[in-house]
Amino acid sequence: MALSREIYQAFEAVVGARNISEDIGICESYRAIPCQTSDHRGPFKQKTPLPQAVILPGSTKEVQGIVRLCNKYGIQFKASTTFWSVMGYIGSDYSVQLDMRRMRRIEIDPKNMYAVVEPYAIGAVVQAEAMKYGLNINIPGVGCSSSVAASTAGWVGFGPQTIFMGAATENMLAAEWVLPDGEVLRTGSLGAGSGWFCGDGPGPSTRAILRAKQGTAGSMGICTRVAVRLHPWPGPAYIPSRGMAPAYKANLPDNFKAYTLCFPSWDAYAEGLNLLHQAEILYLGHRQFTMFGRDIKTAMIKILNDPDGQLSDLEGYVNDPELKKANEDMKIDIQVIIAGMTPRDTEYKEKALDRVLEMVGGWKSEFMMDPEIKDWVLMYLLRMGHKNLNYVMCGGYEGNFGLSGNVFVSSSVMEEASALKKKWEDEHDYIAQVGGDSDMGSITIMGGGGSTGWEFFTHFDSYEKESVEGTAEFFNATQEWMNQKKLGLDMGKWNQSARRPDGYYFSQEEQDEMFSKLAQPLVAYYQYRVREAFNPNNLCGSYYRTLSKV
Amino acid sequence: MEKIQDALTRIVGAENVCGDPKVLSEYSQDKSFAPGLPPRCAVRVHNAGEVGAVVKWANETRTPLVSVSSQAPHYKGDTAPGVPEAVIVDLSGMKKILSINRKYRMAVIEPGVTYGELLKALAGEGLTLSVPLATRAGKSVVASVLETEPRLNALHQWCDLDPLRCVEVTWGDGNRMFTGEAGGSVMDLEQQWKEDKWQWEPAGPMMLDFYRLLTGAQGTMGIVTWASVRCEIMPQAHKAYIVPARKLEDLVDFAYNVLRLRFSDEFFIMNNTQMAYLMADKAGEVDGLKEQLPPWMAVVGIAGREILPEERVAAQEADISEIAQNCGLKMPEAVGGISAEAVLRKAARPGGDASWKEIYKGAFQDIFFSTTLDQTPKFIQAMGSLSSQEGYPVCDVGVYLQPENMGASYHCSFTLPYRADCASETGKTRELFVKASMMFSRMGAYYFRPYGIWSRLQLNKDAQGYQVLQRLKGIFDPNGIMNPGKLCNY
Amino acid sequence: MSLKDYRPMMERCSNCLGCKWIPFDKIKSQRFGENCPSVCYYNFNTYSARGRFQLAQTILDGDAEYTKKVTEVVHSCTSCGACDVSCKICRYNLEPLDHNIALKIDAVEKAKTLPVQETIIGNLKKEQTMIQGQKRIDRMNWAKGIKVKDILLEKAEVLFFPGCKYSYEDGLTEKARAMVFLLQKAGADIGVLGKADACCAGRAYQMGFEKEFEQRANANIEAVRKSGAQVIVTPCSDCYYAFKRLYAKLGLNVEVVHIVEYLDRLIANGKIQFVKPVQMTVTYHDPCHLGRQGEPYVAWEGGEKKIRNQIHTWDPPRPRYNGIYGVYDAPRNILKAIPGLRFVEMERIREYSWCCGAGGGCSETLPEFSSWTAAERISEAEATGADTLVTACPWCESNFAGAKNQNGNKIKIYDIFDLVRAAL
Repeated sequence: MALSREIYQAFEAVVGARNISEDIGICESYRAIPCQTSDHRGPFKQKTPLPQAVILPGSTKEVQGIVRLCNKYGIQFKASTTFWSVMGYIGSDYSVQLDMRRMRRIEIDPKNMYAVVEPYAIGAVVQAEAMKYGLNINIPGVGCSSSVAASTAGWVGFGPQTIFMGAATENMLAAEWVLPDGEVLRTGSLGAGSGWFCGDGPGPSTRAILRAKQGTAGSMGICTRVAVRLHPWPGPAYIPSRGMAPAYKANLPDNFKAYTLCFPSWDAYAEGLNLLHQAEILYLGHRQFTMFGRDIKTAMIKILNDPDGQLSDLEGYVNDPELKKANEDMKIDIQVIIAGMTPRDTEYKEKALDRVLEMVGGWKSEFMMDPEIKDWVLMYLLRMGHKNLNYVMCGGYEGNFGLSGNVFVSSSVMEEASALKKKWEDEHDYIAQVGGDSDMGSITIMGGGGSTGWEFFTHFDSYEKESVEGTAEFFNATQEWMNQKKLGLDMGKWNQSARRPDGYYFSQEEQDEMFSKLAQPLVAYYQYRVREAFNPNNLCGSYYRTLSKV
Repeated sequence: MEKIQDALTRIVGAENVCGDPKVLSEYSQDKSFAPGLPPRCAVRVHNAGEVGAVVKWANETRTPLVSVSSQAPHYKGDTAPGVPEAVIVDLSGMKKILSINRKYRMAVIEPGVTYGELLKALAGEGLTLSVPLATRAGKSVVASVLETEPRLNALHQWCDLDPLRCVEVTWGDGNRMFTGEAGGSVMDLEQQWKEDKWQWEPAGPMMLDFYRLLTGAQGTMGIVTWASVRCEIMPQAHKAYIVPARKLEDLVDFAYNVLRLRFSDEFFIMNNTQMAYLMADKAGEVDGLKEQLPPWMAVVGIAGREILPEERVAAQEADISEIAQNCGLKMPEAVGGISAEAVLRKAARPGGDASWKEIYKGAFQDIFFSTTLDQTPKFIQAMGSLSSQEGYPVCDVGVYLQPENMGASYHCSFTLPYRADCASETGKTRELFVKASMMFSRMGAYYFRPYGIWSRLQLNKDAQGYQVLQRLKGIFDPNGIMNPGKLCNY
Repeated sequence: MSLKDYRPMMERCSNCLGCKWIPFDKIKSQRFGENCPSVCYYNFNTYSARGRFQLAQTILDGDAEYTKKVTEVVHSCTSCGACDVSCKICRYNLEPLDHNIALKIDAVEKAKTLPVQETIIGNLKKEQTMIQGQKRIDRMNWAKGIKVKDILLEKAEVLFFPGCKYSYEDGLTEKARAMVFLLQKAGADIGVLGKADACCAGRAYQMGFEKEFEQRANANIEAVRKSGAQVIVTPCSDCYYAFKRLYAKLGLNVEVVHIVEYLDRLIANGKIQFVKPVQMTVTYHDPCHLGRQGEPYVAWEGGEKKIRNQIHTWDPPRPRYNGIYGVYDAPRNILKAIPGLRFVEMERIREYSWCCGAGGGCSETLPEFSSWTAAERISEAEATGADTLVTACPWCESNFAGAKNQNGNKIKIYDIFDLVRAAL
């Protein structure tokens, strides 16, 4: 059902003719194809539904105008910013897609260390602007190409720097939010006009309906501005670099140290990480490069550091005895960065790091201390600008296993998980054969440490149907294994309860069927009540998980 | 009355139902200026089952419930019934420390557990907890974290609500659930612990952030029967310093520079009056102390925990000292006859049954709100002017500034001691309290924890936010039985 | 490769949208962090390289067609290749720029063009120039009055190929003569193609008119072969790209250098010496077709080979044009050699430079968009504190000059050769 002229013109009157389109080519390009990106829902080849129109609002007032019209005419809507994740796309036929690209302002309060951002301010630019004031921002694992507002207000939001900066939910201060019924809610200190410094209260926090652990992924209205807490950056006003693309390297002063810490066993790894959580010495901690695979990580590092490198070089490097040895040395590893605030601080943190390693029998990888590699690692991890490396090998990637739990639990099953993946790599040809373990993840998912967040990078060919379908089969197998181990939901299926395999949202009946089985179904029941209260016309889809009765 | 007592007796036993007017009068009014009404009766509950049954009964009978966890005296008006015929649900008898986990630095506690009890138990496991300034001995830890009392160590607050993590709650509608990570698994703590889950992650567990509906709610949403809190490793080396200053502005720069680099553990700022109140053992010592002390002080604690503790303290001591120097300040270990170590000892440990702020004149009223550090001088100046204008001795106004949430905001608190037995002084203080509260509101103060009259001042400023709160209240407490009369009766 | 041959790339593009930004490692500010003029101006994602990949999929699937809007989308790419550089920071098996052009070629084959394009290409066919209103007969008028060999009649080592802009436009013809004069003075043995001189048609290719490009290219290659020239020198970056990359693919086997490279060599070996100070604060704009697209052509024939189950490689290894070997240092060397000149860099430089807006024929087909693109670059130049914006391409220069006049900017716009002359 196409939009009537009356409705289209009403939208047009809000944003102007230039900022709305119902052209078939434009609308088609706003459909997600899950296997071509990452969705945590399974690598399906079906497209999400075709929007009736794509609208680009330029202000909160325009967003409010659009949402009010959606309520008036019963049209579902979804806003997205960078459109990487399938979460940002519509899930029903009578819907409009909002592209928030025109809203991109950044205001920084350097003294009180926060930035107020609009949706299209991505991590890379907020970071660049913050560094001018000696500040930095938590860029979650999704990378710096993604929207800070979306990460902060809309989805999980932990990453390499969470150990020092906290996760997105912790960094979220006050927010301005157009609710699904078209009203504008300003949370915390902003509501009363006191500023952006506090996102909670007064009294109970209205923020509760907007953002919890997972974030509402655009299913509870549209965040139009949010204040994000910033953190110290003891470096220059921008990261100076050298080298040739793609291997740009950071020229940072000596207070920045990048190491790959290696451990003799997973027990030592867990113990070491727990000590690092407690020690409060890290600026960043991420198990990064095993994402390519245990057997090929040093080979990939070599390729990525060579301006003329090619994936064709892979086998040659993999068979290099020196690199094999380095792989073995780094079998159980994690990348960390120390950023000393002063020379004394740097010295203390270095000593403390060595002490932790001594306590658990760990060591620093020599291979990764090569100055060229070290400076590449600094650039890579501090900027998080290489998200597309997730897809470098096969074009398709999805994280699976995935356990945001305490490090002692996750590390104890790491070898078994690796063995299961390796079995699939060896017995089938659906996924890339990389040596089983392709675990990547953050040293913690919240400030101060406590739990790690990890996922196995599963590389498949998004172009080849057999590879896509075989990967889905593999995820079924990993889910079965996780069920046996009582480890919860496989990351590749996190969003399976939010959108159907055909790209459409679930109906309430379907949701009731799923969520009545929750260990504590009241959780989804109250979410239903909240949705009824704030989204009475149910215009934002099933990412807001609901159960209509208990 | 008979019928009510019978019904409650069936739930909690006769010995736990109290209708004694003398006892009830203690619940009816606290030491704040907030008005209170006598309750119908009080019940002492001992587990979530009893709480659930009481809430169910209250819904059936439309009886207002006021939950109380801390031991008396109370100071903020939130536990004094705002409507007649309320039943007090006294949780102070729920004193179990359900778990302490050293490895994950987590503790799960019932609402009757006080700071003194918890800190002692934690110490046995090599842990501690960042506490509010010189909290009183009978203060419930669960009530304190739900009410988001500021902590001495803002750098361990990863958000405004730290160290609170998960809770078990019985909502106003009688439904009971776990929140956060604990809400994502089977509703059985023992089972969760067997699965190595330690109620660590507070958010969610899905889209709705349940625990945020309970924080700052003054018991208007539900009753919490356990809470998990994030603890810290017990310091093995711990030093304290006082940075004296003639002007607050000097300390403002110092504080920004120190916290910005993530240096220090405990950190707060006080004027000499507030410090004298804190450190005096009796009223007669206050004036002398005030005179000895510099006008303004920052108290800085540096802790070394498990890894190279002495080295950490030494490095930060040198660095913070340099920052002080750059601000034209010094960082001695003692000032005006009081040692920083003694200050920290007093600040970081529970004190007596009553608040230390009563020492000077027997009664006090606090005015506190959140703001940013750069805004604090204007509030302090305005308070000085208003006090003079109102005939309240400016030199008696204690000021305490506590960074919160890594320094993103500051708890800005004014203490106004008065003699409760002197009607005119009480009246004058009450008037100053009201006028100052209104003045600060106009100036942009954020009553993050809106007790008493502050709730009207704050919530009336934001119609949309208030309406959202009303809708939420309607979902979780549809019959409005949870502490009605508070938070504008939303 | 036809559009359908890009299908694997379309489906392996992961929608990371790095193609909309300069390499993230290089971003210094929000203001100058983006790289794609098309999506920056039109805003819909469809205008990005990812959007084009997705649009093409739907066209191949029959879900979308070349509507008027889609045709505009397809032809609004300036073919600047900034997306290509950014994509290749992480990817080894995607060619967004080639795909963007393949999409244009597909549209042109289906007669889905912008109105002005037909006129331009008609003129190319008839008068062998991209400059509308100009006649073939007038092409060599620029060389009147100077002594220069007709290389088809008289052998010369160096073929000077001025390109359409320098052959016809006021102000530029004089400059072309001065270039020849300077090169000769420095000892170069210079010739021109005379009657055989004609448009390189590189811009036709950028617009998707592949057949018309090939016709002109083959004729030009034949003329060069006949000339026996050892080196081709051109002051036009579009011509440089056409000869260096496109013609090389079609069989041209002669050294191709841009005039800035030639001048840099002459300065380095002392044959050109600067004597006059030039008191200017100058910033340099890297033309897309001299910079990131100015890398030498490397022949390759092969196909995809999967290793380790699903990892795509090319067998034999395929040349990887990621922009780093373009011509960047030569113009900077020249500027830094000029006495008195203060050189400052913009934020977006070298392989991640912002386009002037003239590429892909957009200065003619979508002038408003093109002018906006140029204005963006002028703003970036002004932000450096420079009083002069210098480039090394007549298309860039005229686009900047147009935008400057339109917006009233004070910054001066020059070709690098203007400063060279001023310093002699």
